[in-house]
Amino acid sequence: MTATASPPPTTTRGDAPLLSVRDLRVTFTRRGEKPFMAVDGVSFDVRPGQTVGLVGESGCGKSVTSLAIMGLLPKRGNTVEGEASFEGVNLLTLDEKAKRERRGRDIAMIFQDPLSSLNPVVPVGLQVTEVLERHRGMSRKAATPVARDLLKKVGIPDPDRRLKDYPHQMSGGMRQRALIAMAVACAPRLLIADEPTTALDVTIQAQILALLKELVQDTGTALVMITHDLGVVAGLCDEVNVLYAGRIVERGERHELFADPRHPYTNGLLASIPRLDAPRGERLTPIPGSVADNLPWDSACAFAPRCSQPVDACVHTTPALDETGRRSLRCHNPVR
Amino acid sequence: MTDTTTQATPPSGDERDVLVDVRGVKVHFPIKRGVIFDKVVGHVYAVDGVDLQIRRGETYGLVGESGCGKSTLGKAILNLEPPTEGSVILDGTDIASLRGEELRRRRKDIQMVFQDPMSSLDPRQSVESLLVEGMRAHGLDTDGASTKKRLRELLAAVGLPAAALTKYPHEFSGGQRQRIGIARALSVEPKLIVADEPVSALDVSVQAQVINLLEELQDEFDLTYLVVAHDLAVVRHISDRIGVMYLGGLVEEAGADDLYGQPLHPYTRALLSAVPVPDPTIEDTREQILLTGDLPSPSNPPPGCRFHTRCPWRQETRCDDERPPLRVVQIDGVDPSHRVACHWVEQIASGEIRPHEVAPVYVAPGDGDAGAIDDDTFTGPASVTEVI
Repeated sequence: MTATASPPPTTTRGDAPLLSVRDLRVTFTRRGEKPFMAVDGVSFDVRPGQTVGLVGESGCGKSVTSLAIMGLLPKRGNTVEGEASFEGVNLLTLDEKAKRERRGRDIAMIFQDPLSSLNPVVPVGLQVTEVLERHRGMSRKAATPVARDLLKKVGIPDPDRRLKDYPHQMSGGMRQRALIAMAVACAPRLLIADEPTTALDVTIQAQILALLKELVQDTGTALVMITHDLGVVAGLCDEVNVLYAGRIVERGERHELFADPRHPYTNGLLASIPRLDAPRGERLTPIPGSVADNLPWDSACAFAPRCSQPVDACVHTTPALDETGRRSLRCHNPVR
Repeated sequence: MTDTTTQATPPSGDERDVLVDVRGVKVHFPIKRGVIFDKVVGHVYAVDGVDLQIRRGETYGLVGESGCGKSTLGKAILNLEPPTEGSVILDGTDIASLRGEELRRRRKDIQMVFQDPMSSLDPRQSVESLLVEGMRAHGLDTDGASTKKRLRELLAAVGLPAAALTKYPHEFSGGQRQRIGIARALSVEPKLIVADEPVSALDVSVQAQVINLLEELQDEFDLTYLVVAHDLAVVRHISDRIGVMYLGGLVEEAGADDLYGQPLHPYTRALLSAVPVPDPTIEDTREQILLTGDLPSPSNPPPGCRFHTRCPWRQETRCDDERPPLRVVQIDGVDPSHRVACHWVEQIASGEIRPHEVAPVYVAPGDGDAGAIDDDTFTGPASVTEVI
């Protein structure tokens, strides 16, 4: 960061987790329908400076997890249980005012679609200075040069003029950069990125990923990366959590996880994507069925109907998350 | 070579004959402005002079980033978007010049599979009605019993139960809906299927099912595909030959293995190096060519080589003012069917020209500001949406 860097992180890269999510449950209720548990007992830690990935397909609960942590879920129609403690404070029980104080300052978030997360009728520069005014008590006048530096920092060419631009005048990649500038304006200790590159082209995706990597290295910000793209995770995350139907099914250090996926779902995902580094012409091994085939977790393994190697236990016993080793695994019959 | 029609011979000698011959196709969309008078103030040069041949039984992959014109080209081949210029010759007939009833009848030969299976299937039509509609339009629904049999065959071919016939699109998952879309395309026994982003709306685990299905169907029914996609790994997996598009033109064309084994055009190199690989060891060591800036606006494409505003190998001469044609390259070990649109490929491949830093140029979407040429003033034409 440039001169804008505010107080240095209080904790350095160490063992005390910065964010500790314990047994997070999010249930959506709709009149006339059965309650739906989108997140079903998710626990994970994020240490300072660490990049943690949450991977899974649509509907696995990865985005809902992040929204629950940020307190951004709608007020009605859902219940959030469990604990998400950020430096010892449970974010889930804070009142709205205290949450607002933390959001943007201590924890910031980057969303998938930069156009719908920016205010279309406010110039981008103003949206960046707004964060600085709100959380760092700067005047508009003092904040403007800082905002310009931030835009420059995230690689927006000609930042002076871009300050006055409206979101629709920017390309998708530039908008995402502006959003990142807003997110890092107060040097947050935790950054949550929810599919930050999914709406972008590959060459732009590479630019944004390089930028995120650089930010994490320079500022020591912890990053929670939510994505469905295993390639993105492979290059960026220290630790990877694989989610399926609202639960973590496998967690491991990225090299170990990719080299030796033990959950049939992780293994299946890796086998089903065409890869640039594999010989061409090899047939893909898809995961049969779709998420509609899932069994409920309370009496079985949700993945059992799609699993390549189910055993009897899979359909009548819920597998527990075994966290004893370096690898956490929720499976009755792991690969190898 | 089974039938000899009056086609021009393809530039590269191949034993398989050409099914579709696309010559100099251009699709320009007018940008209009004004309340009372529709004044044309400029054009979006979506496709700007593309030549390509698709051979019988092969899969031709068209890749590029959003806005490069790949989907428009796919539509132009079906004449869903009538080309402004050029010809699309299928079995001796120029599809691009056909109109009205004649065109409708020829559409039997070319079918399309769309990206979003939810919006491309009528929610109020049952699967049976969806599939029969095309057959009826092309006179294939002659008697009830054989139609029923055909429908069951189609569903079996795409891996759906016969009971699916009476169901409606919302009762299926995304992958199954895409199967219905494919069955509908197959129902009229087309010669060519244009698949526009056939798997990008699907979940990763389901993508593979549809990719495998497309491959199986090709073997079974001897189909020819034109697959338009942005996912380079998917295109590589499925295609025999690949064309890379940038800003309305082909920049490189080669067999899938040649292209990915030895990408020659600077844009292809950058594009391939940007694709993340799900292997941390490769990710850590891989050398990336990071392109700076964004795709220039197709309404005001840069002169000369379209890529010169972002090219790390750009030279002082030729790149800025001379548009490179797609040509066979003079490099040892490169297949003669490998064609590249770059003035300096040979020198770049030999290492004679080294890449250099490129300062990013700001590009506004839908605006005529094409970066380097006219960076200071936003004087370009309005966006396409700004019709009124």
